[in-house]
Amino acid sequence: MEIRLEKFSKSFGPVNAIEDMDLAIGDGEMIALLGPSGCGKTTTLYAICGLHRVSAGRIWFGDREVTHLVPQERKVGVVFQSFALYPHLSTFENIAFPLQIRKESNADIERKVKDIANTLHIEELLGRRPGQLSGGQQQRVALARALVRRPDVLLMDEPLANLDAGLRLEMRSEIRRIQRESGCTSILVTHDQVEAMSMCDRIALMHKGKIQQIGTPDEMYHQPKNKFIAGFIGNPPISFADGVVEDGRFVAQGLSFELPDQIKGASVSAGQKIAIGVRPEYLQPDFATAIEGEVTFIESQGREILYDLKLGGGQIFRSIQSSEQTCKLGDQIHWGIDVNSVFFFDEQGVRL
Amino acid sequence: MLPASVTVTLFFVIPVMMTFVFSFTTMSSDTGILGNRYIVTKATILDLTEHGIDAALVRQLGHKVFRFNDAGLAKIREIGLDSSLVKEIEEKLSGDEFASEKALFAALKQLINRPRSFKHRKAISKSVVNTITNQEFRTAAAFRAGLVANGIKVDDATFGQLLDLTNTSWRWTTDNYVELLASDFTFKILANTAFYVFFTLLFNVGFALVLALATFYMPSGQSKFFRAVWLIPRISPSVIYVMLWKWFTFDSGFMSYFLGSLGVEPENWLNEFPWTFVIIVNGFVGASMGMIIFASAVLAIPADVLRAAEVDGAYPMQQVRRIILPLMAWPILFITSYQTLSLLTSFEYILLLTDGGPGFFTTETWALNAYHTALSNYFGNLRYGFGATLAVVLVFFGVALSLLYLRLFDFKKLVAEPLIEN
Amino acid sequence: MDDRKTNWPLTLFLLIVSAPILIMYVWLFIDSVSEINIESIWPEKFTLRNWRFLTEEIPGHGSVWTATLNTTIFATSVVAIVVVLSSTAGYALSRLKFPFRAPFLGIVLLLHSFPSVTLIISIFLMLRMIGLYDTLVGVILVKAALELPFGIWIMKGFYDTVPWEIEMAGLQDGASRFQVWYKLVLPQIMPGVAALAIFSFMAGWSEFVLPLILAPSSDTRLLSVYLAGLIIDDYLSDFGLFKAVGLFYVVPVMIFYLFTQDKLMNIYGGGTKG
Ligand SMILES: Nc1ncnc2c1ncn2[C@@H]1O[C@H](COP(=O)(O)OP(=O)(O)OP(=O)(O)O)[C@@H](O)[C@H]1O
Ligand SMILES: [Mg+2]
Repeated sequence: MEIRLEKFSKSFGPVNAIEDMDLAIGDGEMIALLGPSGCGKTTTLYAICGLHRVSAGRIWFGDREVTHLVPQERKVGVVFQSFALYPHLSTFENIAFPLQIRKESNADIERKVKDIANTLHIEELLGRRPGQLSGGQQQRVALARALVRRPDVLLMDEPLANLDAGLRLEMRSEIRRIQRESGCTSILVTHDQVEAMSMCDRIALMHKGKIQQIGTPDEMYHQPKNKFIAGFIGNPPISFADGVVEDGRFVAQGLSFELPDQIKGASVSAGQKIAIGVRPEYLQPDFATAIEGEVTFIESQGREILYDLKLGGGQIFRSIQSSEQTCKLGDQIHWGIDVNSVFFFDEQGVRL
Repeated sequence: MLPASVTVTLFFVIPVMMTFVFSFTTMSSDTGILGNRYIVTKATILDLTEHGIDAALVRQLGHKVFRFNDAGLAKIREIGLDSSLVKEIEEKLSGDEFASEKALFAALKQLINRPRSFKHRKAISKSVVNTITNQEFRTAAAFRAGLVANGIKVDDATFGQLLDLTNTSWRWTTDNYVELLASDFTFKILANTAFYVFFTLLFNVGFALVLALATFYMPSGQSKFFRAVWLIPRISPSVIYVMLWKWFTFDSGFMSYFLGSLGVEPENWLNEFPWTFVIIVNGFVGASMGMIIFASAVLAIPADVLRAAEVDGAYPMQQVRRIILPLMAWPILFITSYQTLSLLTSFEYILLLTDGGPGFFTTETWALNAYHTALSNYFGNLRYGFGATLAVVLVFFGVALSLLYLRLFDFKKLVAEPLIEN
Repeated sequence: MDDRKTNWPLTLFLLIVSAPILIMYVWLFIDSVSEINIESIWPEKFTLRNWRFLTEEIPGHGSVWTATLNTTIFATSVVAIVVVLSSTAGYALSRLKFPFRAPFLGIVLLLHSFPSVTLIISIFLMLRMIGLYDTLVGVILVKAALELPFGIWIMKGFYDTVPWEIEMAGLQDGASRFQVWYKLVLPQIMPGVAALAIFSFMAGWSEFVLPLILAPSSDTRLLSVYLAGLIIDDYLSDFGLFKAVGLFYVVPVMIFYLFTQDKLMNIYGGGTKG
């Protein structure tokens, strides 16, 4: 089922948490709501499931407008960050709860709970209380409870945040598998970009209550719409430097190079202030456009080595290289950047 | 630490034990409360004659002599008289005897340094008087010794009679308990108490739950308002709160006025339905306490759990029944048992509202009856001993129910040993 | 769930059941400044005559100022005793090892839930015996003692929440156990001390039964007993006067509550379980 938000806004008293958000999620698609803490991810999620009333705008599930529907009638499965299992009920009763509320027959409940427990590999846990389950097990139970009544929409608020690294990796693919099998339209809230990239079809990147860009992980990485997205996506993060346009060149203290043609041809004029963004993999010893600086930091990450290069103007550029270490701390070195892969941003941060 | 334990012992542990002790006495405002004494008074002397005690002995018991012997003179020296007077007494009166106080005072008047003030004359008289009359003896042995010192000889049988007749003070007895078991009022009061505790509790806990839950499901402005309103009875002094209820239910009060506008005759509604108002007045106070505890218990339920219930399709009533109430089992149990105890034992509000009336024992509960018996009644004789007996029953309940809490609320964990040793 | 809508039937229901309280306290104010007509509950006209007790004695009842002074002395003394003794004893119970600690704690806990009014008869008799009957000192001591188990228990609860590490660090730095308590631990539990002080003050200000029984005569009388005397003697002859005295008595505690309620609620944060 398709989900559509039209000009959705939400304010808490004087605080505008979300302003004029438009978002469409295709049937069976899984989309990630990604963004820094406090950007309004949870707020958006709660509006979709009805826990928050919207301040303005409309919400559609397919052809049905649900803007003013109470949560009880929206038929949305939600997995909360804290899992929110009912502490006084056993695993079985927890999963059965949504069905019992709808007064389904005991036989049906029994069958459906068993089914979903099978899918999630938690059959042996059905008799236990939440307090007797590990984090990963609780997470599966929460997922089972959200899925048991075959919701059209599945919402997950940082479902992996409370798990350890190994389990998180395992659950990523597990959740994706189950989502594909059940075919429900899903939203995953996260502030972990790797999680967003690896699990979802598309990413909606939020910042300060606004969606900055929606797209596939690849688009986000290679064609960020603005400086914020370029900075948010990518690990290790991109390096920025401010400068001005002079004679078709980018000029900053200690750094200057010819602008690529498509930038020159576009709307830059002489004297305009612009910024560049260079991802670490496009700063390498043998690349064309030479830059010069001092190595101020070296970190070996096993397969790769991370360097910080301090330019003449004091800007720090990061480089990631997979070969062996070629220099040491304090060395003055000449490396190069790939100008065609550099992002250029205008003063407002919009990419040129 | 030490002062705290002393105070707690003094005003808590000892009173508990003393309640038991007092319950085995005939102590009342007639007998006084100081220990068991033997006193020969003018009244006893009349009594003795009536009980056929030998007239000579009776005369001896009533006899007074004022003797300036060594003991008497020693006492005189302690009074703090002028030294000249003391000296003169030692010189002139030593060894003398007077049969009456009048004769003594006459002799004192003859002295050169004669005592000016009545106080001093009286002090001298007191120092040299030798009599058994009006002397307090704490034990039978001391009484006997006192008789001997005054040269009075009695045989054992007569002495036994004397002991009985001169003991004007309270006695040890188990009659209080017998009376308690035999009295018709006991049952009436017990029934009243059970009725009162049960229905007040029902009102209390029920309303506390309704208030806590209703305010939880309200916009926060409204819930703050209602919680504040319900706290007013608790924070206002009982005297005012009850006074206002009296006004409210009085025949020229609000209720009569309001119902009057609906065509109902004005009444003193409190007299008309005493129990109803006893329960409501106590209930409003009790409900606010439960409300605070329950409201914080509801807030302690993780918000996500209730959100989950909501998106799982549960409407508020279902949330309450299936999630909230089961999770509040402990606070509910706590409030119920706590309030059972305080309702059983407190009488402040009933005292102020109906004082056990209207009429005879209508709303008299056990605790109130203990208070009436021992500390305030219309017959004038305050029966401390019997009141203590009534209180013993309450103390017993208090200790038993308190011990029960200790079991329920996990005593071991609360007394965990300190981590820093010394 | 996160932003509630007004549920009118529910609000209406609560309004109706709360009406007696609202009405009673609104009329407490109205009647205290108006001439009362026995036929109607509506005020006739504004008057300050009901407040004459401020400047003159009410025949047979003595001055309200003596009672006010007594009540103030009573409440503040109770606070002082309870706070000092509970904060020291609570610390000892929470942190120090001493013989009979567990039994003592058991007794305190027992007394904490024990209804103290049941002891009133023997306390009355004991005060008579030791000569403290009908003195302010006697009733202060009794009230403070009865509040103590609660206070000690609450304070112990607050001390229990202070991390041991603070104290261990203090001892490592060479402070004595007393310095550790006074300089490091006590500041941590100031909210608890404040809550207890507020609670005891309000309990002291409102106390009725103890002074009624233990200090009834006119120069030791507290406001509560004074007011109760007005009701019992002149049964309903002058409601305006009662209400004025009542308002005079209740307003301080209400204002006090309004200003301190946030702090007071800490009582539930610290000690009491459930
Ligand atoms: N009930 C509320 N009252 C007032 N402001 C709120 C409320 N809930 C959220 N906000 C504000 O709305 C904004 C968005 O909050 P939201 O919870 O949606 O953030 P989030 O993106 O989920 O962050 P996180 O990653 O930390 O969970 C924040 O600035 C937050 O302070
Ligand atoms: Mg969030």
